[in-house]
Amino acid sequence: MVRAVDRCGFGPRRRPARFAALLFTLLAAPAAAESTLPRVMSLNVCTDQLVLALAEPGQILSLSALADDPDLSFHSAIAAAYPKNRGLAEEVFLARPDIVVTGTYSLHNTTQLLRHIGTRVETFDYAQTLESVPGAVRRMGAILGREARAETIAEAYEAELAALSSPPAADAAAAIIYEQNGVVLGSGTLADSVLKAAGFRNLAAERGYEGMVPYPLELLVRDRPDLVLLASPFPGAPSLADQLVEHPAIASLKSLRRKGIAPRGSWSCAGPFTLEAVRALKALREEMAAGGEG
Amino acid sequence: MRIVAKSLKTKLSGRTVLHGIDIEVAPGSVVGLLGPNGAGKSTLLRALAGQISSEGVVGLGERSLASLSLAERGRLIAYLPQERTIGWPLSVEKLVGLGRLPWRAFGKGLSAGDIAFCRAAMEEMDVAHLADRPATELSGGEQARVLAARAIAQDTPVLLADEPASGLDPAHQMTMMAALRRLAAGKRRAVLVSLHDLTLAARWCDRIVMLKDGAVAAEGTPAETMTAETLRAVFGITAWIDRDDCGLVLAPTGLAGTP
Amino acid sequence: MNALRLSGLLILLVLMLFIGSLLIGPAALDPIAGMKGLFAGGEEAAIIIMREVRLPRALLGLIVGFSLGIAGAALQGFLRNPLAEPGLIGVSATASLGAVAIFYSGLAGSSMLALPAGALAGALVAVLIILAIAAGNTTTLTLILAGVALSSLSGALTSLALNLSPNPFASYEIIFWLLGSMKDRSMVHVWLSLPLMAAGWALILASSRALDALTFGEATAASLGTNLPRARLSIVCGVALAVGAGTAVTGAIGFIGLVVPHLIRPLTDRMPSSLLMPSGLGGAALLLAADIAARIVVPSRELNVGVLTALIGAPFFLWLVARTRREAI
Repeated sequence: MVRAVDRCGFGPRRRPARFAALLFTLLAAPAAAESTLPRVMSLNVCTDQLVLALAEPGQILSLSALADDPDLSFHSAIAAAYPKNRGLAEEVFLARPDIVVTGTYSLHNTTQLLRHIGTRVETFDYAQTLESVPGAVRRMGAILGREARAETIAEAYEAELAALSSPPAADAAAAIIYEQNGVVLGSGTLADSVLKAAGFRNLAAERGYEGMVPYPLELLVRDRPDLVLLASPFPGAPSLADQLVEHPAIASLKSLRRKGIAPRGSWSCAGPFTLEAVRALKALREEMAAGGEG
Repeated sequence: MRIVAKSLKTKLSGRTVLHGIDIEVAPGSVVGLLGPNGAGKSTLLRALAGQISSEGVVGLGERSLASLSLAERGRLIAYLPQERTIGWPLSVEKLVGLGRLPWRAFGKGLSAGDIAFCRAAMEEMDVAHLADRPATELSGGEQARVLAARAIAQDTPVLLADEPASGLDPAHQMTMMAALRRLAAGKRRAVLVSLHDLTLAARWCDRIVMLKDGAVAAEGTPAETMTAETLRAVFGITAWIDRDDCGLVLAPTGLAGTP
Repeated sequence: MNALRLSGLLILLVLMLFIGSLLIGPAALDPIAGMKGLFAGGEEAAIIIMREVRLPRALLGLIVGFSLGIAGAALQGFLRNPLAEPGLIGVSATASLGAVAIFYSGLAGSSMLALPAGALAGALVAVLIILAIAAGNTTTLTLILAGVALSSLSGALTSLALNLSPNPFASYEIIFWLLGSMKDRSMVHVWLSLPLMAAGWALILASSRALDALTFGEATAASLGTNLPRARLSIVCGVALAVGAGTAVTGAIGFIGLVVPHLIRPLTDRMPSSLLMPSGLGGAALLLAADIAARIVVPSRELNVGVLTALIGAPFFLWLVARTRREAI
C-alpha cells in the first residue's frame, strides 16, 4: 500500500474530544532525531497524514488531536503513538518546533500569530483532489527534508492512479454524495475527483454545485440518481443533521449506500490512501452494472 | 334572598382581619357598610362573595355559600370590586353583556332576554348613550358606572358593591344610590354597599353597619347609628349632624380630641 | 367586521397561501403535475416531492402558525397584556431547551419522540414560571423583563447543551433551535406534533369564557362563576402543548403570537374569546407567507423562517412598546 500525502479534506470539523491524550502533549516529545532533519508539529488532520507518511518518527513533535479519529484520519493507528496538540499557539511556543504545518483554512488566527513571532509555518491548500496529491507529497517531502521518499511515493501514486482511473462515459451512472443537513460534495472537492476516477458522474457537480453546499431535497428526488451515498450517523449522540437521511423522501430513492463503503478515513483527506476509496467505489460501480442496477 | 353571616372570621397572610362578624342583609334593603380605612369593609365583602376563605357560616336563603358551585354563586351573588379593571377596549354594550356570563350556556351568545337586561342596566346607570363607545376611552366616573351596570345586568338576588360611588360626581353618586335602591325595592334584592360618604350612606341606605378593627362597632338604622358618639368612636371625628325632610345631613367638622 | 366574514376571509387567505406553499420549490414542478402528484398519482418523483416534501412543510406552516397565533391571543387575554407572546415571554426558547436537552443527550436514543416530550416539559416550566411572576397584577415591564431573562437563560443553556454534544453537527443546530425552520420536515413531524397541538387548541378554546370574564380582573371573573384555577391550568397546558409541540418540530419561531392578535383585534369586537380562532388562522397565514418568503427572497439560498418572522416582528414589537409607553398602560 502506498502511504499518505496531502491536506485537509471536506469532512466535518470534529471537536477535539480526547483530552486525556492532550495532557501529555507538552511532556512526551519523542527523543529528538540525532539527524539534522527539522522537527515538525502538524496542526491539521490532513497535514498529519502527509507527515505520518513522510517523516522520520523522531521528526514528529506532535500531531493534531483529530489524528486519532479513524473517520477522519486514515493513519489513525500509527498516529496513536505520537503526542497530540489542540492547535493552540501556546503549545507551539512550548514545543519549539522547527516547522509548523497546517491548513490554509483552519486556525487562521493561530497561523498569523505564529508567523508574527517568527515560527516557520507552511500551509497546505484546503481544496484538494486526486490530482493535487503528488504535488502536496513532494512539497511536504521538501519541507521535511525527505525528498527522496516523497518522490518514490508520488511516482508510485501517479502510476497507480493512472492504472485505476476510468473516467465516466457520458451515459455513466450518476452518483451523489448526500451528507448531513443535505450537504452535497460538488465540483472541486476530493469526493468529486474520487467519484469520477471510479467511473461515476457526480450529479451535484453536473448541476453546477461547487464545493460543500446544501442541495435541495426536492431536486434529489426529482433527479433520482443511480447511486446515493449517505453519510453514516454519528454513533451515540443524535443530531437533526443525521436525522435528515431518515427522511421518507430519501428512503424512496434507489441504490442508497452509506459513504462507509470506502475504507474509513480514506477520502476525508486527500492522500495516496485515497486510492482505496477509488477502488471501493469502482468495485461498487462494477457490481451495480453487473446487477443491472445502474 | 337574604344573605346572613354568623361569626365570620378571616385571616389575610396570617393576620386576623375579621374577628367574628355577624351581618344580615334582608331582601328589599340596602345596607351601607361604613368604617375607617383598614376596618375590613372590602375583606368582608370579598368573604361574603366567597372570594376568600373564612371561618363561620355564610347563608344565602336556605343554603350555605360553601355548598354552592361557582356557577351557582355567579347566579346568586354579584360582586363589584373596588378596583375598576377594564382589560380591553370593548364597547360598553359588550362589557355590560359580560354580566350575563353566569346565565349563558357554553358557546351561546346573548339571548334577546340577556340583551334586555343589559339595556335596562345601562339605563339605570345612565350609560346607555355610551353603548358603542370603547369602555377604555371613558372617564373614570363613566367607567365606574359601566362596571356597576355590568353587575346589575348579572341580575342576582344579592349585590355586593365595594365603594361604587367613589370618584363619581355628586349627581352620579345619587344616580348610583338611587339605582341600588330601586333594585332593592323593585326586585327584592339584598344590597350591601360600602361607602365613605356619610351623608350618602345616611340618606340612601335602609340600615348601616359600622366596622372598626374587623368587628361590628354599630348596627341599625341611619338615625340609630349615625350619632356623634359612634362617629367619634369609629372614625375619630366630630361632625355636624342635621336633618331635612328626606333624612340626615352630616358634615365632618374636625378630628376628635382636637379642640 | 362581522365575525363570520372575518373568519371566512382568513380561511380563504390561509387556503391560498397553503396552495402557494405547495406550489413553490426548487424542483419547479408545474402546478398541474404537482396537484396531480398530490391527489391522483402520476410520475413517481412528483408524488414523492408533493406528498413527502412539500405537503408536510405546508401542513406544518398551517398548524404551527395556528398554534402560535392562538397561543398568543390566549396569553394576551389571560394576562390582560397586549405584549404577552410565547416567544417574548420565553416559552418558545425554553421549549427548545427542553427538546435539545433530551434529544442531544441521547437519553432517548435517536427517537424522535424525545423532541416533543422535551419541548412540552420545557414549555410547561416556562409558562409556570411566567404565571408565577405574573400572579396578581403585573406590569408589562415585569412580564417582558421576566421573559427576556428566561429567553436568555434558555438560549444560553441550549447553546451549552449543543456544544457539549459529541456530535460535530449539533453545534450547527443552534440556529435551528433559536430561529426555527420548516425545511425538509416530513409527515412524521406532522403526526408527531398535530395531536398534541390539537389538544392544546381545545384546552385554549375551552377557556374562552374565562378569558372574557378576566377582562374585569380576577375578582370579578371569579364572581361571574369562572373557575380561575381550572382556567389557569387550561391556559398553561394549552399554551405549553401548542407551542411546545410546534417548537419540537420547527424550532423556536418568534413574534407570530404578538403580531397577529394585534392585527386581528381591531377587526373583532375585541372580546378575548372572539380573537382566538381568527388569531389562529392569522398565525397560519403569516407563517405560511413567511415560509414562502424564506424560500424565494434569496434565490438558491433558503433562509430560516424564524429570521423572517423576527425581521417583521421585532420592529413591530418596538413600535408597540413605544405606543404602550405613550399610553402609559
